[in-house]
Amino acid sequence: MDFAVIGTAAAEALTLASFIGIGGGVLLGYVVGVIPGLSRSVAISIAIPMTFYMSPYIAISFLIGLSKGTAAGSAVSAILLNAPGEASSAATALDGYPMAKQGKPKTALQIGLIASVMGDILATIILIFVAIPFARVALLFGPYEMAAILAFALVFIAGLSGGNIFKGLAAGGLGIILGTVGLDNQTGLPRLTFGYAELMDGMPLIAVAIGTLALSEMFIQSEKLRYERGTMSVQLKKDDSDRITWPIFRRILPTILRGTGVGTFVGALPGLGPSVGSFMSYGMAQKAAKEPELFGKGEPKGIAAAESADNAVIPAALIPLFGLGIPGNVSAALLIGAFAIHGITVGPLLLRDNPELLYSIFAGMILASVIMLVLGWYGLMVFAQITRVPPHVVIPIVIFFCLAGMMLQGYGTFGLVILMGFALLGYLMKKYDYSFVTFLVAFIITPMLELNLRQSIILSRGNWEILLNRPIAMIFIACTLVALVTLIVRTFRKGKPPAGAPAVD
Amino acid sequence: MPRSDFWSGLVVAALGLLALLWVIPNYAGSNPFARMPPGLVPSIGAWLMLICGGVIAVKGLVQMLKARIVPLSADLHWDAVAWAAWPFLYVAVAIWFMSFIKITWFGAFLIAGMLILLGERRWYMILGCSVVPVALLYVLSVYLMRVGVV
Repeated sequence: MDFAVIGTAAAEALTLASFIGIGGGVLLGYVVGVIPGLSRSVAISIAIPMTFYMSPYIAISFLIGLSKGTAAGSAVSAILLNAPGEASSAATALDGYPMAKQGKPKTALQIGLIASVMGDILATIILIFVAIPFARVALLFGPYEMAAILAFALVFIAGLSGGNIFKGLAAGGLGIILGTVGLDNQTGLPRLTFGYAELMDGMPLIAVAIGTLALSEMFIQSEKLRYERGTMSVQLKKDDSDRITWPIFRRILPTILRGTGVGTFVGALPGLGPSVGSFMSYGMAQKAAKEPELFGKGEPKGIAAAESADNAVIPAALIPLFGLGIPGNVSAALLIGAFAIHGITVGPLLLRDNPELLYSIFAGMILASVIMLVLGWYGLMVFAQITRVPPHVVIPIVIFFCLAGMMLQGYGTFGLVILMGFALLGYLMKKYDYSFVTFLVAFIITPMLELNLRQSIILSRGNWEILLNRPIAMIFIACTLVALVTLIVRTFRKGKPPAGAPAVD
Repeated sequence: MPRSDFWSGLVVAALGLLALLWVIPNYAGSNPFARMPPGLVPSIGAWLMLICGGVIAVKGLVQMLKARIVPLSADLHWDAVAWAAWPFLYVAVAIWFMSFIKITWFGAFLIAGMLILLGERRWYMILGCSVVPVALLYVLSVYLMRVGVV
């Protein structure tokens, strides 16, 4: 490690601008996370246009801080409302809400916060120690290896993020087609632009991200308002006995450490989101407990297990991103877009070309965790009040920011029409259970996949036997085929209804 | 799910077929000297859509036949469809307006109108929720990003 670079990075992380940027990201993330229905990816997609005027370090740290803040904030609504801010906090609600109902809402929130921050910091440290050696190895990879790894990641994400491999691959296919729109690098000719000069640079990422993630989600939320409206939040009261104590912390510490391990492992694998991590950690904590019957009735270990894993997933998902340039989930895919907007290629080249930025981001991530703890601890009462904001107030404001984000990008009415098209697409994908995660990841990695595929074909002069001399590429091609067959078999087995089950449509 | 799987699979497969037969041959360009034609990667995507869409549709059809479900249902709740559709129409009309008026001048009305349609009646909530986001956008675009009023 270059200690001079690390020192510069630490100094940059401790500037006032850094504090304001990262603190603002965490605060905004917290507020968004507390509001049920607004997920991490929605927050990031809307926030990307806000980062245009920031420096690359502040912009990326702001978005990572936002991501961390939403994960911690979503626990507040899960505990006080029994309505998780996002799916990954559903496991937190299993014990958090009963504990709040038993008159211990503040204790539940503090357990959630401490588990979140510890899971987050430990996973960030693991990221720092794993991503850099990983990136050093990845720098030795050629186009054959990169093309094989990208294909493997795509199949893996398609199979795991939605559950049905065919729907995942179909969504990925659409993402691949749309990812090739724009000027072809080789011929310099427009491809799939239908004569629109605005599409020469490709399909605008902001329109695709905001449309499929944020705007479509608001349409779904407004549809839900027809069926469900009022929510009852558990109120926080001034009660000195309602707080986390040293014996409680000592009891939950092993669970937090186990949850962090589970979350880090799940996060590092492409396609497995924080929901898988938090539920897996919750299940493991229940199995390991001496009194598993207490789970679901306000057991502190349940909250600690779910929250530590949920937050550990976020830094861990950056391991394949910084190490290989592969986004493991939607948030990481959006970060690639944010890097691209600031003219930076994320992946192993970042370590070689821009190590100061990489170390600064790591330092910013640690700072974000500390800010998260301070904000969460002292702002508990304020964030608890936000749970009372009704969704019908949130929806129009988010829609406004979606449209404004597109205008800030400078695409004008054309961009808004594209945005609307992707909102409709995202709505249909969510309604019919097609993986929008695979769609978005495929859309973002397609230019990289095409470039590596093209270089491989040119270098090999069309001779596929050359692959026999590239063992890493061969291993990933074999892994892709095995994953494909396994996931297809799993989809068919899952599709079989149990004997005697009634027909449901 | 079999019915929605059948129809959605059919649409996906049809889109894949359309891309293979018309969109890619006509709009992907060509380079006879290139080892990798510009249409190769989009074609991979289109084949994925065609094959996977076909499998989803066939799987849905088999499940429908087994469960004796008809492909079309007359049990459609038009009021539910209308409730799901109006936000799309509202935003589409707003986009049309925005081709004449900047979002900063029009945003407060956009938010206020939707708040009222979603059932909000408290005047102070409508006023606050519609003016504050627009003011934030003004500060962001004019003072922070310095791109002027958007």
